[in-house]
Amino acid sequence: MSKPEPSEEIRIGVYVCHCGLNIAGSVDCEEIARFAATVPHVVISKDNRYVCSDQGQELIKQDIKEHGLNRVVVASCSPRLHEPTFRRACEEAGLNKYLFEMANIREHCSWVHLYEKEKATEKAKDLVRMAVAKAALLQPQEELVVPVTRKALVIGGGVAGIQTALDLADTDYKVYLVEKEPSIGGRMAQIDKTFPTMDCSICILAPKMSDAGRHPNIELLTNSEVTAVKGYIGNFRAKVLKKPRYVTQECTACGDCVPVCTETAPNEFDVGLATRRAIYTPFAQAVPSIYIVDRDLCLNKDSIITCDKCIKACDRNAIDFDMKPETLELEVGTIIVATGADVYDPASLVEYGYTRFPNVIASLEFERLINAGGPSGGRLIRPSDMKVPDTVAFIQCVGSRSEKSGHFYCSSVCCMNTIKDALLIKEHWPETKIYVFYVDIRAYGKGFEELYKRAKEEDVIFIRGLPAEIIENRKNHNLRLIGENTLLTEVYKIDVGMVVLSIGIEPRQDSDVIQRLLTLSKTSNGFFMEAHPKLRPVDAPTGGVFLAGCAESPKDIKDSVTQASAAAARAGILMARGSVTAEAITPVVNMENCQVCGLCARSCPYNAITVNKELEKTEVIEAACAGCGACGAECPFDAITMRHFTDEQIYAQIDASTEQDADKKIVAFCCNWCAYAGADFAGVSRMQYPTNVRIIRTMCSGRVAPKFVERAFSRGAAVVLVAGCHLGDCHYINANYQTKRRIEKLWKKMDRLGMNKNRLQLAWITAAEGEKFASKIKEMQNIIEKVDKEEIEKSKLMVRGGG
Amino acid sequence: MPVRLWRKPLDADKIKIPRGEIHIIKERCKGCNFCIEFCPREVLEESEEFNEKGFHPPRVKDSNNCALCGFCEAVCPDFAIFTVEKNCEGGC
Repeated sequence: MSKPEPSEEIRIGVYVCHCGLNIAGSVDCEEIARFAATVPHVVISKDNRYVCSDQGQELIKQDIKEHGLNRVVVASCSPRLHEPTFRRACEEAGLNKYLFEMANIREHCSWVHLYEKEKATEKAKDLVRMAVAKAALLQPQEELVVPVTRKALVIGGGVAGIQTALDLADTDYKVYLVEKEPSIGGRMAQIDKTFPTMDCSICILAPKMSDAGRHPNIELLTNSEVTAVKGYIGNFRAKVLKKPRYVTQECTACGDCVPVCTETAPNEFDVGLATRRAIYTPFAQAVPSIYIVDRDLCLNKDSIITCDKCIKACDRNAIDFDMKPETLELEVGTIIVATGADVYDPASLVEYGYTRFPNVIASLEFERLINAGGPSGGRLIRPSDMKVPDTVAFIQCVGSRSEKSGHFYCSSVCCMNTIKDALLIKEHWPETKIYVFYVDIRAYGKGFEELYKRAKEEDVIFIRGLPAEIIENRKNHNLRLIGENTLLTEVYKIDVGMVVLSIGIEPRQDSDVIQRLLTLSKTSNGFFMEAHPKLRPVDAPTGGVFLAGCAESPKDIKDSVTQASAAAARAGILMARGSVTAEAITPVVNMENCQVCGLCARSCPYNAITVNKELEKTEVIEAACAGCGACGAECPFDAITMRHFTDEQIYAQIDASTEQDADKKIVAFCCNWCAYAGADFAGVSRMQYPTNVRIIRTMCSGRVAPKFVERAFSRGAAVVLVAGCHLGDCHYINANYQTKRRIEKLWKKMDRLGMNKNRLQLAWITAAEGEKFASKIKEMQNIIEKVDKEEIEKSKLMVRGGG
Repeated sequence: MPVRLWRKPLDADKIKIPRGEIHIIKERCKGCNFCIEFCPREVLEESEEFNEKGFHPPRVKDSNNCALCGFCEAVCPDFAIFTVEKNCEGGC
């Protein structure tokens, strides 16, 4: 960070924009320009119809050169709109772009005070004063350029992981595809047919699997798990534990070892409906097509080879019990999380009798039973007597859409999966009577409604209302379903030979591990959260990490593949460029003040601060930092300087905003992403509210240190508002929980000091909640009216940090 | 939750695993217990009886459990134990 010479005179140019009549209509812009000229450090101040126009920008550039300006303030619209424009103009004139500051006198002033020209003009003066005060303390900054390693790590080898890996590998990036199971393929490999086209699932997946297996740019790491990830965007170092297969590349998958093996277990791939041996391949199309020994099951535990039957049976000497686990260290630039999902365990719904009644099966078991390569050779048989049932009932929403049992959300694939399954039964055994018990049928996708219609035409009976109970006939293991048909408001009692529970999708049980390794966040449902639900749907909040498939939310194959290609494209952008620039709003630790207490590291949502107590060193990993400023607010020793949002700069803004009539004002700290944008939205929507609020922008509400609030009170401010994103929606993972904690602490303190707690307000306002922002300000007007001189004096004296 | 594996596999009765028949030549045994120690399925245990050398020869705990790996035969220093495949045609 280069600092200007202390002797350097600060020369600020202020440009007040009319924005046609958008600003000039309710703010006297000439008056503002005249006022600005009187503010310390301002050497030139002008008003202009459109400062953002080429001519307006030219004016700034000329003045920088002619008048030797070293700071520029533009009073116009929201920095969220035109800050980049003016920053570029400054840069073109040779001024570091971090020496530019904006006063938002349109969205936050002229548009929201359309009919109060005088008051609006006074407010605009304050806003300019605040911007100039901050500008005087601005420092030039240099942005960090981080190289990006042109290799990717894909975690999870289901269809989403395979697609991402193939797309990246075809773009010529090296890809490590890590899968914890012995074969790639994931859930899609287990499914018999896909909806709505009724394609054979493995037939369309197997070619992709073998493409991934033999692609020169893909290194397949099956039976492997990611155990550690260090580093940051562009420069991750991942540790992958490659567990031994005990079978070498020499294996030709002839299967001669299998019949001689004496140890058996249920095959996980067949949901336990078939048996496998200790040496096995999960399914015929497995990639890599190398057998594996389940060493926990095998007689050869530990290092003693007691049984050598498979070794003897193998012509190619491919079995090697001496294989050891390996830990690989991979250097990658991007990481794609495609870890997939688990399924709901229906045994917890006691009324459906799963695990008590043999003929109640789960939908994943159905897929294996109807599959020609499955344990029953494609015959849909009842487990009780191995006969094909003449009536089958499907029960929807098992574990989904219920707050009482299972999960609140819709698993999104089960309706169509059931319709497909019903049609499959009709195709093989047309005489079978099929009932589908549902809550709603959600056939929302391309070709879905058509398939639903076809099922109805083929006499699949749809009954709205889930059974309340299933009763088993002990003699023949038939099942009686009792419930209410909610369309006819009639009770039904229906006897069937078999029940298929359409089980929902749930987050992986071990998804916490990946969450911790990559500092991801989860939604309340437990799936990984994207950086933005609409505009960055495959980016994780952590830079350089992307999401694909069911790890992000329940979705079908097509959506998984779409998302996988999107994730590959997003990761590809980073790697193609080869470098990434970090905005210079990251913290700098002043080791003279730092006590190496570690509070900053704990407050960082990105693990971007490392504290070494032995070496007495606190270091910021700039590339991993997102610039929220939570660490700066947390540091009790003022040892952290948040670049471009320094304590001094924020104090200067507070002081400037409270220079006049502080006791009638609201000092508002608004986070850049939600609350500030919400205030912008109130402006765009021309929502009128009182003129006494002065907004100070921080990147995150987590930047707001208690001392800022105290400073505002000590300056005599009537009310302080701290506003951020809703809890759970924070743009910095969870930094706004720290805001909440700090404000609650301040309230307690105010209580202790006998202050009116209402004078400090905390609000969660999204970028769309302009109305909420406006009504919050209106509501606070009432509080201001109750704040008398005595109360103000009390806070001036009692709160630390004054002056 | 990962898929619950609770059902008896449909092919459980069809899978035929060869079973061993264990023969112990008691008088050769000198009680090293290697066969007992190393049997992967813990089929053998020490008996209470004495052979003529004064050792406790092993005894079969559960003959159905022998996987016919033959390790007892290989590890016995005295050629005192051997296994043959059980004839299971009439059921074991």
